[in-house]
Amino acid sequence: MPVNAYLIDELRKILGERVSVSPSELYCYSSDASQIRGLPDYVLRPLNTEEVSRIVRLAYENEIPVTVRGAGTGLAGGAVPVKGGFVLDMSGMDRIVELDIDDIQVVVEPGVIQDKLNEVLKPLGFFFPPNPGSSAMCTIGGMIAYNASGMRCVKYGTTRHYVRDLEVVLADGRVIHTGSKMLKSAAGYDLTQLLIGSEGTLGIITQASLKIVPLPKTRKLVMAAFESAEFAGKAVVKTFSSGVVPSACEILDRTSLKVLKRYDPKLVLPSEGDVILFEVDGTENSAQEAAAQVMEVCSGLALSLKLAESEAEMAQIWAARRLVGAAISRLDPTKSRIYVGEDVGVPMKQIPKLLEKVQLISEEFDLPAMKYGHIGDGNLHVALFIDVLKEEEWTRLKAAADKIHRTAIELGGTVSSEHGVGAARGQYMELQWGPAFEVMRVIKKALDPKGILNPGKLGL
Amino acid sequence: MNMNPSLDVEPKSQSFELDKRSVYKCVQCGTCRSVCPVFESVGWESANTRGRMLIIKSLLEGRKPASDVLPSLATCTTCGICAEKCPAGVNPPKVVEAARAELVKQGVVGEGQAKLNNTLVEFGNSFGEQKERLHWLSQAERAALPKKADYVYFVGCFDSYRYPEFAKKTFDVLQKFGVTLLQEERCCASPLLRTGFLESAAKLMEHNLDAIRKTGAHTVITGCAGCYTTLKNDYPDEFRVVSVPEFLAEKLGSLPLKKLKLSVSYHDPCHLGRHNGIYEEPRKVIKAICELKEMKNIRENSRCCGGGGGVRIGYPEISLELAKKRLEDLPEGVDYLVSACPLCVRNLRDAGGEVEVLDLIELVAMALE
Repeated sequence: MPVNAYLIDELRKILGERVSVSPSELYCYSSDASQIRGLPDYVLRPLNTEEVSRIVRLAYENEIPVTVRGAGTGLAGGAVPVKGGFVLDMSGMDRIVELDIDDIQVVVEPGVIQDKLNEVLKPLGFFFPPNPGSSAMCTIGGMIAYNASGMRCVKYGTTRHYVRDLEVVLADGRVIHTGSKMLKSAAGYDLTQLLIGSEGTLGIITQASLKIVPLPKTRKLVMAAFESAEFAGKAVVKTFSSGVVPSACEILDRTSLKVLKRYDPKLVLPSEGDVILFEVDGTENSAQEAAAQVMEVCSGLALSLKLAESEAEMAQIWAARRLVGAAISRLDPTKSRIYVGEDVGVPMKQIPKLLEKVQLISEEFDLPAMKYGHIGDGNLHVALFIDVLKEEEWTRLKAAADKIHRTAIELGGTVSSEHGVGAARGQYMELQWGPAFEVMRVIKKALDPKGILNPGKLGL
Repeated sequence: MNMNPSLDVEPKSQSFELDKRSVYKCVQCGTCRSVCPVFESVGWESANTRGRMLIIKSLLEGRKPASDVLPSLATCTTCGICAEKCPAGVNPPKVVEAARAELVKQGVVGEGQAKLNNTLVEFGNSFGEQKERLHWLSQAERAALPKKADYVYFVGCFDSYRYPEFAKKTFDVLQKFGVTLLQEERCCASPLLRTGFLESAAKLMEHNLDAIRKTGAHTVITGCAGCYTTLKNDYPDEFRVVSVPEFLAEKLGSLPLKKLKLSVSYHDPCHLGRHNGIYEEPRKVIKAICELKEMKNIRENSRCCGGGGGVRIGYPEISLELAKKRLEDLPEGVDYLVSACPLCVRNLRDAGGEVEVLDLIELVAMALE
């Protein structure tokens, strides 16, 4: 779309200098952390709901695509304007509007960074539990739009479980609230839940009321190493069936372990094997008891078992774990991690089978794969890495990713557990949902009849 | 990239070559976006490290560079906090410097940068000063400078022309250890290397190298973080390079320092700290004199003062905003904020905080009185 003087003029009336059509700026907004690319025609940086509403009204009248972006840390191209048009960079809407400790909730704008919210909540004794690996940089708006979760959702649930109300700008610019500060409501459709995970295709989130929870008194971390990923998977199933609900349950296969050790040689991690990190939280007594139980359950299966000695040691291990996905080039500088096929999930008892099949796929396509993730909720992050300068490796990579997605669906799982569908996985929606996908299409049509909200996403 | 085969001196590091692999290592995770101080102040995606890497990638893939890349690439202070945090092990300041060199080669240069280059070429200092570099010494003192010595004190443009009192105080301390000065010192070339003018830089480096060689010195001492990283990492490995804080820390036993009833804080210059790992030595010197109360973000996590990478000259408003933000990290109840780089001192002073900003050598001089 060529730059249109009328639009520029109208946009400047709304946003002043916070409009850009500079080729370099447009390029910077043409990707996120995925492989999806798409140039916007205009980059816009609104600072309040009124501005968002006026922009969307302008887009509606002129049928211009609108793609919303937080920190651009997404792994499925959700924030990439594949059809051009307006990109709304929401990171300037970053106020914590209200800390309502009496009602155990907070009201935030979408550009608030997850970690920053938790920094504010910590001295008050509370936290907002969903914690993706990108928590230091991702925005709450993005987390809601993609139903992000992370390591602790095995106990605390996903973002979906913490949203009470959303302020949303609809496709024609109208502003609605989808809920209230109430803990529960039995009046009508749950629009809040509909909007969560809708990836900017149904409306634009401009404010959110979030439930918060008290910080646990203590956390303990058990590190268990196994001879094979299969044994590790078995240990996880056994742990859960013994009645323990870990606050995190992460797998790091032997390649991931090597990468982490290269990233920080001082990390106290088992020296070999496929590793499970079990975190338990609660009071000192309950956490101690749960940690002992985990160790007892794993003792027959594990090569080694160790309890982290201090909070600092735990914090170090978790910080490194969060960055493992991007750290692969520490192992081999010619290889880069490419985020495709990276977020599949299966029912928990199918995890050993998924691990085995992913290994076979990695061998079939001769691509090294690092496997890590939230094994406790069936979510496996497969990190395939290639030499990006070799075209042929890209071809094998794409074929392997396709097979991984199809395998997850065959095992009764999902192509995305927490990263979203975006433009990277739309082609699997029909396969995963069958006739239910048609219902999604109808909903989309009803709320966005002109198809301007994040077009080209979710396979819609 | 062959910079200029006709010159003897080339920056020794390979980092001035734009290497595809080092750019493609970036997985665009956005970790750097959360720590880039310039982005915090500017707000546009192009003004953070990931944006810069993307723009550089587009140039490598054949996009023709135009002046619209400058507000992105020229606003990096090369503070290196992104490199510190990058999980993929990318060193963005080096990539940015290499890209700037490419832009210069292709004639895409900002007004401020072009002026800086011209000034340095014409006057041999970044301020366009015409007076003698050693003007702060008397004729007699200059004449008495030994021609040969084991140690050379490399003064730098800032201390020569803006803070000659720092130069004087530093020289007073160093003289006891057999230090001489370069009669013909010129800018170390740091501003040119950081902004991509490699050809002009090589000429200055060649000149200084020649002057250092003539003294026969085995060690060059400097009080400027920019000169330090340049002499150490860009000049050939012909001599040892030591920062004033390192030298003072080494010689603490032979300095008659009085204890002062003061409480000070310390700002880590990026090119001394993150780029070269010098964190402990300045703290050791301060603690030998008075109480040290740390700033909120220190050492590897220290916030940039905003002065480096050519940003102070090219984008003074951004530079000043960063300095003001840095002053917010000061703890309560300190008498002075100390740093060990005249550029940081200048920028932090310009930010106009309530706490006076000192160079480390000033504190040392107070303790020697």
